[in-house]
Amino acid sequence: MDFGQIFAIIIGMIFVNNFVFARFLGLCPYMGLTKEMSSAIGMGMAVVFVMTLASMATWPVYRYFLDPFGLERILRTASFILVIAALVQFIEMVLQKVNPALYKAMGIYLPIITTNCTILGVAVLNIDTFYKDGKPLSGGFLGSTIQGFSAGIGFTLAMVLMASVRERMEMANIPKPLRGIPIAFITAGLMSMAFLGFSGLIKMT
Amino acid sequence: MFVPVIGASAAEILILSGAGLAGLGAAFGVALAFASKKFQVEVDPRLEQITVLLPGANCGACGFAGCSGYAEALVKGTADIGICSPSSPQATAQIAGLLGKEAGEKEKVVAFLHCAGGKVSKRRFTYDGIGTCASAALIGGGDLACEFGCLAYNDCVRACPFGAIEINEIGMPRVDPQKCTGCGICVKVCPKNLFELVPANKTILVACSNTERGRFVRLICDIGCIGCFKCAKTCKYEAIEMKEGLAIIHHEKCTVCGECIPVCPKNIIHNFAEAGVPAQQESAEPPPEGNQS
Repeated sequence: MDFGQIFAIIIGMIFVNNFVFARFLGLCPYMGLTKEMSSAIGMGMAVVFVMTLASMATWPVYRYFLDPFGLERILRTASFILVIAALVQFIEMVLQKVNPALYKAMGIYLPIITTNCTILGVAVLNIDTFYKDGKPLSGGFLGSTIQGFSAGIGFTLAMVLMASVRERMEMANIPKPLRGIPIAFITAGLMSMAFLGFSGLIKMT
Repeated sequence: MFVPVIGASAAEILILSGAGLAGLGAAFGVALAFASKKFQVEVDPRLEQITVLLPGANCGACGFAGCSGYAEALVKGTADIGICSPSSPQATAQIAGLLGKEAGEKEKVVAFLHCAGGKVSKRRFTYDGIGTCASAALIGGGDLACEFGCLAYNDCVRACPFGAIEINEIGMPRVDPQKCTGCGICVKVCPKNLFELVPANKTILVACSNTERGRFVRLICDIGCIGCFKCAKTCKYEAIEMKEGLAIIHHEKCTVCGECIPVCPKNIIHNFAEAGVPAQQESAEPPPEGNQS
């Protein structure tokens, strides 16, 4: 893993293959939690945190448990769900003990994240990216961690952008039938199209 | 890829994957069980009980970060019992019982809007901006000709966490004293400071805040206090004071006899207990001039 590759992963996950705008994952919190900036940032931070740790946890499980036993095709999704659920539970316990302030800030978002498709998405994507023809690439663990982290940052970026637009739209004079969720969907579509401008910036191998 | 499974029978795959998942699950289960012992946080059982007893409106009237914040402070002993305006006396007594303390008696207060004519008063200019009082008040104090009056863009209606402020037949916000818990949020959001928290049993109040002289009040508003002194003279208990051309009823002296209500030439002395309760009747009747006396 040289610096160029790491840079490509980061830019790729934040802008080009943004989880929300390009892959259409995590649309539920994207619509549901962007009414206020504070909840959007809280959710975004929690996702960054959990995504990084989930990438760090799922890669070894796949590499050293599923792959050697030949279970990678059958048990990938099931075991990842298991790993992520256990991990989030564990994080919650540790946070409550070690850092109550952070636990309070993230507390409500952590359980939501357990079943969030972005987390599973990034875990599966890590395997797709850092495995080639059934063989693990070197630096897979570091790559997964960075990929998970930057995917979380990309998700947070989408949340923050949407929340800022929606907070301003609260005050705008919008035609009555479009108020609320409809205009939010239109905004999401326009933002997604705008982010299409990044496509081709990075050549994903 | 897929190598060990090739050549294996379906039954073997099934057993292998089942065993793999069960092993993974068991490992995580044991790890979590250990973690829960190791990272156990002692939580006072009373905390949860108190949180349930509190109204859960998170209005912030107590000065803490929501109901859970107040509950924590209560358990720690740093907060007084009974400063939660929305909670019922029974719940407060129960909380006091849980904490082994006496509950302080708390007088029920409700919010009252000291303006009746924001919608009927003349407007100085056409305001076409964002439809909130806070925004309208930024432009020279609002578009209302009366510089004291209610702008009637209903910030208070939106802010009330209990849905206690409704819009009456002439488009003015009106507090429903039954639903109002006296949390004071409307007092804070009103840019004109027109709300006052008053004892719930002192129901007679002047629905105007204009301190200008009667001549000017007459020019801009049909239902504004013109400072005629009639109510002050009528009151036997000296509860009504004339301050800068505006009648003010002092709750301490007021006996709610109601004699001042009929003498007011502008019908702005309201008995909000009567104005608030028959909300259903009012909608059936034709709108009465926008004031109930």
